[in-house]
Amino acid sequence: MTLWHIAWNYLWNRKLTTFLTILSVTLGVGLITAVLLLSYEVERRFVQEGQMFDIAVGAKGSTQQLVLSTIYYIGQPAGIMPADYYNKLKAEPDVLAAFPITMGDSFKGFRIVGTTRQMLEFDWRDRVTNERRGTYDLASGAYFSRPLEAVIGATVAKDTGLQVGDKFASTHGMMEMEGIERHEDTPYTVVGVLKPSGSPTDRAIFADYESIYDVHEHEYGTPSLFGRDFGNDEAVTAEPKGEHQQGESDHHDGESDHHGDKDSEHADHEHFDPREKLTAVLLVLDSPGQRFEFNQRISEEYPNAVAAVPILEIQALYNQLLGTARLVMLYIGFLVIIISSISIVIGLYLSIIQRKRDLAIMRALGASSGEVVGAVLIEAFWVTLLGLVTGYAAGLGLTWGIGAYLVQTIGFKVSVFSPSPDMISAYSAILIMGMIAGILPAWQAYRTDVARDLAEL
Amino acid sequence: MVTLDQVRRKLGPGVEFYCEQFHAPEGAQIALWGPSGCGKSTMLNLISGLLRPSSGVIKIGEHETQRMSNGQLDRLRGEQFGFVFQTFNLLAPFTALQNVMLGMRFSDTRPSKEWRRHAIELLERVGLKHRIHSRPGTMSVGERQRIAIARALANKQRIVVADEPTGSLDPKTAAAVMDLLLQMCGENKVTLLLVTHDQGIANQLPERFDCTGLAREVAQ
Repeated sequence: MTLWHIAWNYLWNRKLTTFLTILSVTLGVGLITAVLLLSYEVERRFVQEGQMFDIAVGAKGSTQQLVLSTIYYIGQPAGIMPADYYNKLKAEPDVLAAFPITMGDSFKGFRIVGTTRQMLEFDWRDRVTNERRGTYDLASGAYFSRPLEAVIGATVAKDTGLQVGDKFASTHGMMEMEGIERHEDTPYTVVGVLKPSGSPTDRAIFADYESIYDVHEHEYGTPSLFGRDFGNDEAVTAEPKGEHQQGESDHHDGESDHHGDKDSEHADHEHFDPREKLTAVLLVLDSPGQRFEFNQRISEEYPNAVAAVPILEIQALYNQLLGTARLVMLYIGFLVIIISSISIVIGLYLSIIQRKRDLAIMRALGASSGEVVGAVLIEAFWVTLLGLVTGYAAGLGLTWGIGAYLVQTIGFKVSVFSPSPDMISAYSAILIMGMIAGILPAWQAYRTDVARDLAEL
Repeated sequence: MVTLDQVRRKLGPGVEFYCEQFHAPEGAQIALWGPSGCGKSTMLNLISGLLRPSSGVIKIGEHETQRMSNGQLDRLRGEQFGFVFQTFNLLAPFTALQNVMLGMRFSDTRPSKEWRRHAIELLERVGLKHRIHSRPGTMSVGERQRIAIARALANKQRIVVADEPTGSLDPKTAAAVMDLLLQMCGENKVTLLLVTHDQGIANQLPERFDCTGLAREVAQ
């Protein structure tokens, strides 16, 4: 019979009080666990997505808005820029791959992203670990090869019921409501469905950038996006439309073998008519180390565009918004832990008062003051440990629930079982606080007056 | 075995305990009797080291306890003393078996692997083998006092101090408990110091020590 058994028996003997004390610790630990897991995972996932592209170039405006709208498909892009920039950027010496992005339409709230087939076929790898990323892996069908063919993300397929071969009419803008303008005359045909990747691509529809022009030219007689003319722009230089059409024809006829090779024949044929406009161009550089220099150069050489390093933007955004929210939630969690510690103190202290006689008996049986103090501290340890275990489980459950919601809403899969390094520090701090909470009752036990307590009835 | 020589202990304003001489040889069974408040329980607490004397000498075997540290006293108490109280003083969260094992837990007289077997033997000896897994709250007062006797003898103790051990029992149960206590202390050659205010109980023991006047008023 060890002091651990003795402490456990006393806790078990007052189950309700013990349960309520453990519950209060559980709440605090659960909250802290969920906050740490979610913030760590959200940051990791955001960073992971942000690492895909080295540079995003878009119309002048907010760089964060540019990154959020074109990489995470959150919010509206700031505007449009001359499509000619794509041609110039692609020809830059340090660019490994360049992908045009056009936006403006949606289907049932899912954004339609106009780009090139090369973006889906690119050999995407983690820029840090070089592991292959299956962001655009097909579950069924094939990638689009001509305008008005669409490849849909896994969540889109699940939520809309669209399958390969189905047709759908896009909606102008992102709103889905009664009487909203639909492009019924230029429906898309689903040619492929992507595997779930837990990334924003799950909630996107990809189509050839020409699709966007086709839809709007048909509707408005203009190739510009959003159904309105872009207007004059110094960077726009007139080039014959025929050249673009030739390129387009080549693109549609040929199977791409680009796969990250910027010198491929197909890439050379991918030229925009300079009258057309783009939402953004996403770039993969030869090396991530070139990001800052390249970013600086674009700011100087492309007067009507703004460039952003996605990873920097997302980290800044994370620190500005989620970082503060994370801190607030952590403070709340630790406040709950402090309250829990106080309830441990009260619970144990009352228990010590109630069983002064028991402590005196133990002393009479030969227990030293140290052993009595040890038994009380072990009780505090048991309560804190059980609170930690149940709190961790509750935190995992909460994270799982929120993670499921995040996958549904923004396509972010949160891995429940990837503990944050901060959690070890937080749990250690909680254990120490629990032990500190045991000190006052332990001191009370230490001061047991054996003869008096045994005499008192 | 137990000797008190001019032992004083301040009990409160103007009141002190004073015992000029007391001696209990090994294996003796002595009733410390007297009216309530005469100082007999204080004497028991001084002998068992639960109280320290203000002056004088208390010898337990070869040990002068007034010279011992708290830790040494804790060990001595765990190894050499067994306690039987009027209100039993069993620990409610523990079963009968665990209560007896607790008597061994805080001393080094027996290896831990023997605790359980020895506790079962003792409970069998006091007639409670069938209730070893019962908690005190579910047992009769007589059964509880028998567990206390088993616990008091769990460590090969040399001295058992019993403070009004039959005070909460009906006469029939009290007689049975007294028989058991005297018998078991006799079998184990344990010195029994039994505090009682009841002369009838005191007369059941071979020797008596009149405690009247041990607690006395003194000039402040």
